[in-house]
Amino acid sequence: MKKADIITGIVLLALAGYLMQEALGMPPSRTFGPGSGFLPFWLGIILAALSLILIATASLRRKAGPDGPVFPGKEGLLTVVKVLGGLALFTLLMETLGFVVNTFIFVAYLMGVVQREGWRSVFLTALLTTACLYIVFHVLLGIALPRNMFGF
Amino acid sequence: MGFQVASSWENLLFCFLGTLLGTLIGVLPGIGPTTGVAILIPITFGMNATTAIITMAGVYYGAMYGGSTTSILLNVPGESSSVMTTLDGYQMAKKGRAGPALGMAALSSFIAGTFAVLMLTLIAPALADYAVSFGPPEYFALTFMGLTMVTSLGGDSPLKGIISGILGLAVACIGIDAISGEARFTFDSIHLLDGVGFIGVAVGLFAVSEVLVNMEAPMKRVFTETKLSIRSLFPNLQDWKDSLGALWRGSAIGFFVGVLPGAGATIASFMAYAAERKCSRRPEKFGTGLIEGVAAPEGANNSAAGGAMVPLLTLGIPGSGTTAVLMGALIIHGLRPGPLLFSAHPDFVWGLIASMYIGNVMLIIQNMPMIGLWVRLLKVPYKILMPLIIMISAVGVFATDNNIFDVWIMFFFGLIGYLMQKMHYPPAPLVLALVLGPMVERSLRQSLTLSHGSLDIFFTRPISATLTAIALLSLFAPLFRILWNRYRKGKAAPAQ
Repeated sequence: MKKADIITGIVLLALAGYLMQEALGMPPSRTFGPGSGFLPFWLGIILAALSLILIATASLRRKAGPDGPVFPGKEGLLTVVKVLGGLALFTLLMETLGFVVNTFIFVAYLMGVVQREGWRSVFLTALLTTACLYIVFHVLLGIALPRNMFGF
Repeated sequence: MGFQVASSWENLLFCFLGTLLGTLIGVLPGIGPTTGVAILIPITFGMNATTAIITMAGVYYGAMYGGSTTSILLNVPGESSSVMTTLDGYQMAKKGRAGPALGMAALSSFIAGTFAVLMLTLIAPALADYAVSFGPPEYFALTFMGLTMVTSLGGDSPLKGIISGILGLAVACIGIDAISGEARFTFDSIHLLDGVGFIGVAVGLFAVSEVLVNMEAPMKRVFTETKLSIRSLFPNLQDWKDSLGALWRGSAIGFFVGVLPGAGATIASFMAYAAERKCSRRPEKFGTGLIEGVAAPEGANNSAAGGAMVPLLTLGIPGSGTTAVLMGALIIHGLRPGPLLFSAHPDFVWGLIASMYIGNVMLIIQNMPMIGLWVRLLKVPYKILMPLIIMISAVGVFATDNNIFDVWIMFFFGLIGYLMQKMHYPPAPLVLALVLGPMVERSLRQSLTLSHGSLDIFFTRPISATLTAIALLSLFAPLFRILWNRYRKGKAAPAQ
């Protein structure tokens, strides 16, 4: 945790610097009251101060902490990456593939590739999930869901 | 007289349909009470005014309750007022106590809602003055106090709680600045001009990150065996004892916050939660599954819904987005809300108030038997629940604005939320600072404009001074406590 805290502290410090830099670039405060850069600037200052405190307290802590490693082992981390990657692809392809196809493939991916279930439960879950979501959102609530070039 | 009006068969039926529809709408993330009420307006054209408003009030309440269902069961906050319920409610569900959590949410919503309607009936006109006495400094003090109370929910590290809150405020700055029209942090993207949508952030930060954390160890059971016996489905005596104080405090806080135009169920819910934590004998256990952590925010958000009717009915000022839509509906039906409403259309006003009572009762009747059904949902193996949660989250978020960009926001904040969970940063302050941010900034800048740059304005006005003092106290209290403890240890050591 100690190393992780120091690294996050540095990242936050950089973010604070960015906030302040952007804020100074905005039109200055006029007689009408604080301008648009007011809040981001002060947020930057507070965040910088807090990050410094974070880095300081983390460095002064004597041991690495009893809670062990921050991130899970290789396998756990890989699963997380797979889910995130799948979600990113899903969002990317939504407009191209259309809701029905995209959802089906994504659920099948989550069940089959990420969780390695048998093809029967993969197919059934994907089918039922897509069908239920389609009925609730499109049929019952009338929300327009994306369609692909074939019209579904 | 009101009950006579409200109890006509037609009105009762539509109230029932309203609450049912409202609950279903509330369960879906992204589609909240405001959207639900707005969808219904065209449908109510054919009805008479009283029936229409009764239906919409039913939807409003139903949606409030529906949102808490997914918060408790799946850590998916249905809308901003249900975010606080996830903190203890979901933890209770994980420990097998989903039934009592849902039950307490329903019952506290009912009790607090009834309290609010009572208060509304008795003191509505007197409250009009109170509502109007809040100017920009008071709003800043109130929201600042809300922020400091929320950042104290930092669990082990208040520092990380504050950082989380600051990050939320920074995200709130994205978009076009309302006062000057300047585009901030938009990276030339049209989608960001309107700011970062709350629902994408909340669902990503809570629901998606939770799924990711659970995916690390797929074999580990997420939900402890939930018992289905009748007795374990509802809150037991101990639960009631623990929650009694929470209910009173939550109802009162919720109502008075709800009365203020602009401050609604969301702010009420987390003020109630934070206040409950401060009044509790076991504050460190909040966030692990305490029933009063569910009773307080749930009671507060329903009480605030009742309170929000006060400025609408007495002053003609809508207190929140949803009441604004309600006001639009009223005007469409030919009723002009304002001081004259009570005298010009008494049957309507009292009919509406009575229907709020009835709506509360209907919610209880509809939802208590359904608790068993909802809890059964948790018995579904997590490997099937997981894709379901992600899909409902993604589609729900998409459905808010029919914009795929919102899903990208959800993705991004899902990643951030995962990292935050790993590094022990609490997500609640970020999301709540995001909600409060615009109001904080606006009232701060308005106040400083009024006072020509002097900070005195916050301390010379009585209400603002009190609230600011409370805010500063709660901000520095942990620091004082640490220093005080060190002082006491220092005194004890030489005596040895």
